[in-house]
Amino acid sequence: MADATNANDELYPIAVLIDELKHDDVLLRLNAIHRLSTIALALGAERTREELIPFLDESVEDEDEVLVALSEELGTFIEYVGGPQWGHVLLSPLENLAAIEEPVVRDKAVESLNKICNELSPQQVEEYFIPLTIRLSKADWFTSKVSGCGLYTTPYSKVSPPIQEQLRQQFGQLVHDDTPMVRRQAATNLAKFVKEMPAAIVVEEMIPMFQHLVQDDQDSVRLLTVEVLISIAEVVPKEQQASHGVLLSSLRSLIDDKSWRVRYMIADRFEKIAKAVDEEVVARDLVPAFVKLLKDNEAEVRTAIAGQIPGFCALVDRKTLLNDIMVTVENLVSDSSQHVRAALGTQISGLAPILGKQETIDHLLPMFLQMLKDEFPEVRLHIISKLELVNQVIGIDLLAQSLLPAIVQLAEDKQWRVRLAIIGHMPLLASQLGVEFFDEKLSQLCMGWLGDTVFSIREAATHNLKKLTEVFGVEWASEAIIPKVMAMGAHPNYLYRMTTCFAINTLASVVTIDVIAKSILPMLEKLTSDDIPNIRFNVAKTYSVLIGVLRRLPDQGTIYTLEQAKTPFTPSPRGQQLIDERIMPSLEKLQKDDDVDVRYFATTAAAAATGAVVGGGEPMNTSP
Amino acid sequence: MSDLDRAIAQLRACRPIPEAEVRQLCHKARELLIEEGNVVTVNAPVTICGDIHGQFHDLMELFRVGGDVPDTNYLFMGDFVDRGFYSLESFLLLLCLKVRYPDRMTLIRGNHESRQITTVYGFYDECLRKYGSANVWRYCCDVFDYLALGAIVLGASNTLPSSSGQPAASPPADEVEIEVHNAHGHVISRFLRPKETKGDGTGGARTASPNGGLSNGVSSDSSSGSGSGSASSSAPANTGPPGSGASGSSGGSVGNPAGAVLCVHGGLSPLIDMVDKIRLLDRKQEVPHEGAMCDLLWSDPDEIDGWGLSPRGAGFLFGADIVKVFNHRNDLSLIARAHQLVMEGFKEMFDASIVTVWSAPNYCYRCGNVAALLELSEDESGLGVLARSNGEVNRSDGGVGPRGVLMENDLMGARSGPARRYRVFQAAPQDSRGMPAKKPVADYFL
Repeated sequence: MADATNANDELYPIAVLIDELKHDDVLLRLNAIHRLSTIALALGAERTREELIPFLDESVEDEDEVLVALSEELGTFIEYVGGPQWGHVLLSPLENLAAIEEPVVRDKAVESLNKICNELSPQQVEEYFIPLTIRLSKADWFTSKVSGCGLYTTPYSKVSPPIQEQLRQQFGQLVHDDTPMVRRQAATNLAKFVKEMPAAIVVEEMIPMFQHLVQDDQDSVRLLTVEVLISIAEVVPKEQQASHGVLLSSLRSLIDDKSWRVRYMIADRFEKIAKAVDEEVVARDLVPAFVKLLKDNEAEVRTAIAGQIPGFCALVDRKTLLNDIMVTVENLVSDSSQHVRAALGTQISGLAPILGKQETIDHLLPMFLQMLKDEFPEVRLHIISKLELVNQVIGIDLLAQSLLPAIVQLAEDKQWRVRLAIIGHMPLLASQLGVEFFDEKLSQLCMGWLGDTVFSIREAATHNLKKLTEVFGVEWASEAIIPKVMAMGAHPNYLYRMTTCFAINTLASVVTIDVIAKSILPMLEKLTSDDIPNIRFNVAKTYSVLIGVLRRLPDQGTIYTLEQAKTPFTPSPRGQQLIDERIMPSLEKLQKDDDVDVRYFATTAAAAATGAVVGGGEPMNTSP
Repeated sequence: MSDLDRAIAQLRACRPIPEAEVRQLCHKARELLIEEGNVVTVNAPVTICGDIHGQFHDLMELFRVGGDVPDTNYLFMGDFVDRGFYSLESFLLLLCLKVRYPDRMTLIRGNHESRQITTVYGFYDECLRKYGSANVWRYCCDVFDYLALGAIVLGASNTLPSSSGQPAASPPADEVEIEVHNAHGHVISRFLRPKETKGDGTGGARTASPNGGLSNGVSSDSSSGSGSGSASSSAPANTGPPGSGASGSSGGSVGNPAGAVLCVHGGLSPLIDMVDKIRLLDRKQEVPHEGAMCDLLWSDPDEIDGWGLSPRGAGFLFGADIVKVFNHRNDLSLIARAHQLVMEGFKEMFDASIVTVWSAPNYCYRCGNVAALLELSEDESGLGVLARSNGEVNRSDGGVGPRGVLMENDLMGARSGPARRYRVFQAAPQDSRGMPAKKPVADYFL
């Protein structure tokens, strides 16, 4: 590359980059590697093949970080060496990288090798790639073999049957390797490998390999065979499965494995397994196994299997579900581990559509009620967040009757996130329960949230009020909500006074022009002379929201109702009048405020009102 | 939307901003901070926070509980960086907010805002990992040198307004001195203000008559006179709120009633007897290994007499007597500081003359502690609220010294201490965080 350095000015930057490839500073080398394509482009395809690649071939003695980058770059390098027909020249440096000790480097190299393999022609694969795979698989040291394991699936479909057979044989040797590292990698890749071949070959050659791995003495190998089992079961047609007793006995031994990590893998993929095997196996073997895993000694296993409840229960018939499974599921409600209960909480609602109305009332409701009292807030939260599903099955009336006490209790929960979740369900409850019932039981709660100590709850409470107004109408709102919202404006603490501003922002689209004129504007006018600047600039922000609404609001009705009804409406002249007479004077006053933030927001609002370009306001004051 | 607003939005999503923007931001921040005095004057109402330590998602939780910027005024007492996974995003977000809303945000320096400390405790490595070079770290460290060393909060209310939704049976608002909230809707405990005795009008340090201190909003018999008060101070029923440390913490604050609140990261220094002496320091430098500036950022209060050696190797330990004398001499009613982990989020010491506020819940993602905010309410009379002049001249206190305000408050016959409302909160739940740092970098092991 010496000639590159003394080339003309045009090539000078390239020369620098090439020098940087050999620089002492890791960061510079890394940088140069990332711009390898630039170098290659400047050199041209031929010189890249003949000079750059051999150079890279020798540069595997570097920091791992650089090597990872190099492995990654080489994967996209085909276009720089002259297209796919030259793709094989990249194999040599990647082969070296695939033998490196650091797994991250190897993984990237294997990934890049597979990427290149996809673009090579069958001849190239047979001539260059397969020998590479075999070489790596036969190497002395396990690092190369581990990389080798990952290089079977991609070329397999591209080569002729005799070569395919050679590949299968070689893979069999990896499965029987002495080191668990290689066997682990072989097991991981076997799951993908079997999908490349027809059922007959799988039965004949792959099942024995699987069987060998299932009996491995390392649990870290055994747990990987769960995926292999699923792959095999998916490839082999269901009606043939029965004749391969070895599959079934392997499955049973995995379910009963003494290592919990293996049982965890089974539990975690239970639904997938059930879908891959035929129905008889599900009924005969998997149902008892499911019950057994639900009672497993390890909480991790129970947590995993709890996540599979709705998925698996949908696959079995109702009778089995009610007789054999439900009892055990019901026991999980009082499981000793909170994580199991939390997992159950997220999944249990999924049972409602499967069980149907009557069974949901008989079996699920008692479980809900108990879990809603769980001491662990996450359990309660999970239950609430999934109530929707149950609601669809049994109807809101029944749900409200049995759950209302629990809901009221949760609405005052110590955890604010629980309260937040409950607030989210209020509009739905309100719409189903009707005004009277709501006023009686829940309105106190909704108003109480406006004065919550946690900001997020106060904020959510205002959004809740808006939704309630959408449900119950503006008449109700102006009687039940507006006075209370306005009362917050007189709170001695500024953080609570601010709630009034926030509430007006959200309520603006659901109130009539009368309410704005009679209730809202007087309160805001009072707040414009608040002592605390934070309140004053929030008033300005609120004004800008109101201006937007008043511009569109007709004499009767609210923006929300009219938009729902899809009737065209014309703005009332009174709206513009209110803007000019009531809002603009206040904004002008605020624009002369002592506080810079108040002036900023007031100016922005006023600019919006007069239609001037927004942003023409006072620039942010960041320097003296 | 200006560049700054966009940067804020991006940082709120926990995505770092490009190096060039950091450079610009730090430049603007320095221009702004250089105008501030060593001791910034802040007007109540303000919410005071302690250490953050790069726990970005918990900082978001803090905003969710305390209110968003600019709606709520905040004062952060240093240690924004190190230890957590998101020092960079946390600090840059706070800095962006400071530049965008200089009047609503106050940042003061902690002992971790230093080149030497950040190279050891994670911030340097984080910058290197996220940008591939140390430039951003360098820009941030330059900003650190300009951060103020302390702040004085003026005009805090003496009475807690009862938050709506509280039971009507709560004691009259002006008798409540402390309320502890749980990040739930509930007052955990409420501490009554000791009754004023006649002839106490001098307003100086006085022997308190602790009769308050019953928990859970049950109004104690506030009529119990001053006579029996001292006896009950050691009774078990009169232990302080969680975190207030010793017993009888509500026994009245010492120092000037309704005086100012001094906020500083660590504590006091034997070289500083007046707040004005802090103002004389040249702060624009790396935190030195000794001296007044170092002490302010490193010292801790302790149950000792006078001064003691600090086990930290920098700063000092100081006892109740030191705090009381300092508060009296400087017309302070309270010192708020951070710097030490307290499991309950906050801890008042020495007859509520100093409080530690800690705002990093589940510190280092493993300590299991809760965090707290300290809200100082606005003075209802409005007298303590000054029109801030720093819109144009950036936080110069416009010639109105603290003293002028205090005099006015004295005339009002103020009771003791500012009313303080603590909000306790927990770590953000797992699902609101992203994955922790994507790849655990090999650099740590090399």
